[in-house]
Amino acid sequence: MSNQHIFQEMDLSMNALREKVQLMASLTAQNMKNAMRALVSRDIDLARIVIGDDSEVDELEVKIDQLGMDILIRFHPMASDLRAVITAMKTAHNLERISDHAVNIAKRAKKICKSQSSIEVNMVEPLFAMAEQILNDALRAYKDGDSDLGEGLHAADEQLDKAYKKVSASLSSGLENPGTNAENILHLIFVARSIERMGDLAVNIGEDSVFLSKARDIRHEQRKAQS
Amino acid sequence: MNDHQEKPMESRTSATAVDIRNLSFNYGSTQALKNIGLNLKRNEVTAFIGPSGCGKSTLLRCINRMNDEIAGTRITQGEILIDDINIYDRSVDVVKLRRQVGMVFQKSNPFPSSIYDNVAYGLRMRGERDSAVLDQSVQESLESAALWDEVKDRLQESALGLSGGQQQRLCIARTIAVKPTIVLMDEPCSALDPIATAKVEDLIWKLKHDYTFIIVTHNMHQAARVSDKTAFFYMGELVEFSDTSRMFSNPSVKKTEEYITGRFG
Repeated sequence: MSNQHIFQEMDLSMNALREKVQLMASLTAQNMKNAMRALVSRDIDLARIVIGDDSEVDELEVKIDQLGMDILIRFHPMASDLRAVITAMKTAHNLERISDHAVNIAKRAKKICKSQSSIEVNMVEPLFAMAEQILNDALRAYKDGDSDLGEGLHAADEQLDKAYKKVSASLSSGLENPGTNAENILHLIFVARSIERMGDLAVNIGEDSVFLSKARDIRHEQRKAQS
Repeated sequence: MNDHQEKPMESRTSATAVDIRNLSFNYGSTQALKNIGLNLKRNEVTAFIGPSGCGKSTLLRCINRMNDEIAGTRITQGEILIDDINIYDRSVDVVKLRRQVGMVFQKSNPFPSSIYDNVAYGLRMRGERDSAVLDQSVQESLESAALWDEVKDRLQESALGLSGGQQQRLCIARTIAVKPTIVLMDEPCSALDPIATAKVEDLIWKLKHDYTFIIVTHNMHQAARVSDKTAFFYMGELVEFSDTSRMFSNPSVKKTEEYITGRFG
């Protein structure tokens, strides 16, 4: 298929939309990584950077929505173009929420840094690695139109959910141990919860990438199959 | 027998309104339609889309044999069945066929006479002289065309004094006054402003419960708005025919995707 629209202004707008989503994806992935680094390496300054950088992600979400609306109004996109606009706007929304969770983690990291280090921090690292992998795969599925990769994220997310439940249970049981820094443990439970939510939101992006490339809406399919 | 052969309308029970089978058509030595097969359902709106010269208007005009009026044209293969009768059969009365298969054109074409006479024209041509019957039919047709309230107090005024949108709705009223089963529309809104276009589109949507509409349009958003099914033509061939929602969200054929996304045309 020719990639060029006859009305070249539409190409410019569609490309601008794609570029903004890619930029937002990079910033979000970076925020996510920095939030975890701030927690693990007890880096308060890095945590502050994550909190500050979130505003840029927020602004990009607004810009992507504005540009998407502008394309809908001006060019009345059809078929794959329509799906591209809808998916871009939905992906931006999911990225913004992932970045919000990165901020949540950064805020918890700041608080944890003010007290003695907790060995329990190590427990959330594997969770984070799983969520990060899901996000990277989802973004690759979106960028490359790889529907198989996008659709396959459910399995990875199930693993993340199971791991989250285990970590959460372990942290909760640790609260009962004498001498435990209960406040830090509670912060880590919320960190684990944010990581688990990041995985869910990344899966949403993967599902939308299937809609983008194949026009198939796979949302809730797994739940329907299970019930 | 069918309606154009004086069969009562009530006996039509088939879900198919128009069955086009392997149809090829020539303008002289130029082949304009190539082996077209389409089954159009009753009480649905079907849109024909495609770039200029793709054959969509030619096919539309084949359905009520309007192309018969053009010298050198001929069906070279295939048939069009309406109520199981090939409309190109020698026994078919073309006048009766066109009563059953009405047509609305790109440019509104009211006769230079009163609003009333425009709508009553077809009935009078059919021999109706009873003024009460004519009055009732004119009112019903104008009501169906959503024009009655705007013209009921000036039925004897010239139709040429109506706005472009009103004239087009008058033409629709004139078409449906003779109770066709199928209404062909060739770019019916291309000369209308957005308000008049919306009124005609709303009319099509409301009237489809009583009629089968086939509309040729260059406006793909109009096709998306008003039609149940869409057929995409390219260089005399039917490329894709599917539910309109599917056609405009996920077309099956690459050529369709390229056309509706504005990548060629």
